[in-house]
Amino acid sequence: MMLVLFAILLWLSGWWINTRLAEGPQANSRAVRLAVPLIFGLTVLAVWELLVRGLNVPLVILPAPSLIAVRFAQSTGLLWQDFMQTFVKGALSGYVLGCGAAFLTAILVDRSDFLRRGLLPVGNFVAALPIVGTAPILVMWFGFDWESKAAVVVVMVFFPMLVNTVAGLSETTQMQRDLMETYAASYWQGFFKLRLPAAMPFIFNGLKISTTLALIGAIVAEFFGSPTMGMGFRISTSVGQLALDMVWAEIVVAALAGTLFYGAVALLERVATFWHPSQRG
Amino acid sequence: MNKTICGTALALVMAAMPAWAADEVKLQLKWVTQAQFGGYYVALDQGFYEEEGLDVTILPGGPDIAPPQVIAGGGADVVVEWMPAALAAREKGLPLVNIAQPFKSSGMMLTCWADVGIEAPEDFPGHTLGVWFSGNEFPFLSWMNTLGIPTEGGEDGVTVLKQGFNVDPLLQRQADCISTMTYNEFGQVLDSGVTEDELITFKYEDQGVATLEDGLYVLESNLEDKAFRDRMVRFVRASMKGWKWAEENPADAAGIVLDNDATGAQTEAHQVRMMGEIAKLTAGSNGALDPADYERTVQTLLAGGSDPVITKAPEGAWTHVISDAALN
Repeated sequence: MMLVLFAILLWLSGWWINTRLAEGPQANSRAVRLAVPLIFGLTVLAVWELLVRGLNVPLVILPAPSLIAVRFAQSTGLLWQDFMQTFVKGALSGYVLGCGAAFLTAILVDRSDFLRRGLLPVGNFVAALPIVGTAPILVMWFGFDWESKAAVVVVMVFFPMLVNTVAGLSETTQMQRDLMETYAASYWQGFFKLRLPAAMPFIFNGLKISTTLALIGAIVAEFFGSPTMGMGFRISTSVGQLALDMVWAEIVVAALAGTLFYGAVALLERVATFWHPSQRG
Repeated sequence: MNKTICGTALALVMAAMPAWAADEVKLQLKWVTQAQFGGYYVALDQGFYEEEGLDVTILPGGPDIAPPQVIAGGGADVVVEWMPAALAAREKGLPLVNIAQPFKSSGMMLTCWADVGIEAPEDFPGHTLGVWFSGNEFPFLSWMNTLGIPTEGGEDGVTVLKQGFNVDPLLQRQADCISTMTYNEFGQVLDSGVTEDELITFKYEDQGVATLEDGLYVLESNLEDKAFRDRMVRFVRASMKGWKWAEENPADAAGIVLDNDATGAQTEAHQVRMMGEIAKLTAGSNGALDPADYERTVQTLLAGGSDPVITKAPEGAWTHVISDAALN
């Protein structure tokens, strides 16, 4: 009971500090803007630890963060192997293939109205397929290793990327396109000089959405058949072994990988579209 | 008028009596509603539980439901679980205790194509085997360890696939062997048009590495409660009555299971066959755990190799208190 009371006190004090910081004179300084989420996160972890210990919650329901950290530190080799299998081989290769294919399809769609009418509904249809329905079939087609996971990721990221790119390519106004026309620009000259740069924010939007989808797709696909490694494999089998600390360690890996992946794409966007109004910070 | 009201009231009270007086028991199954759990559905349907003054709710499981987790969270009073998973949970700090063992033998086996050059377990190296995980991999890993075959792939070892709960990997030859239960997946392989001559099967029972399946487990802390013990005694007694009824009337029992299948996924032919196979496994058990079977299970698991299921022989993982009181 003492621990629970302590947890409540800690929560309130963390809350108080953060409110003071956010309303204080230094609210817009870099240090405070970093400190506020950091204090919040640490408070959540500490309160979690105290409540789990104070209320004697069994490990199979919710392990304490300290146990998860210990498990994480002890199994870095295993976690790294799972990360390589699922993220690098499955998610990343599927992401590159899927986004690349969607980008090229978008150009085709853009060039011909016939394809626009034909392909977009198909893309729409594919997007509506539930992953739990397609994953077992793709595992059947492409085998148990990472290839089938990459295939699931391709299916998942293809549509958001396609729609965003197509929308981006029609971002320019008629007046701008007419100007290119008067310069006697060919389709490709107009494409690279005017329409592709204008589409960049949209394309990056698609890329950012796809990062999270790729990770989810690769992990969930492993539930439907996998070799004896991978993040999805480990999560689903560790639950059966009641090694919930391992499950949470994998969740930490997935969260870190997902955040870094998204961050990397967002950084790339800042570099590539520094001229765009939305990037003026 | 008054008489009528009194009569109606009395009738209502009478009707409500059994339900009001019955003790609630929640049973969490290891898998979906099927003849594998026929005995419990029979006991429910034939009123054996009611006779014991119990109001039993049977909760079907599924691929994403781990019974130990359900009982830890207070979602069930008693669970059907395989002993390896239960002992692993016990070592993980969730003290499950076996109170009854309706299944005498294990229905687990590896089913292989006869044409891939596997004639005996010694021929496994170099082949790909499909194995179920989620706690069902323990018997397999222990078996490979007793044979001294590594499970990391390569020429001298076996490549292990995490098999979904279907038989596709075998039919598509993505695996040379897959895990099957005598009463379920093996039938699915045959249903797909494969004949028994094309297959070779290795039963865990025959290999001497069988582990106890489908026992009834409760939390140790609950067993200290006299009222709970009394409920469990009645529950086990009625359940075993149900099992023996199912053994004698497999076709009717399969019908009862079908009536209770809310998903509508099961077919009659499949359930009748399953009930027949299950009857072979429950035959020879009166519900009391045979300590010799328990010892064999523990020895098999302790031979789990580099990553053993349990690291030391468990203590107090089973009790005869309930089954003795229930069966005498």
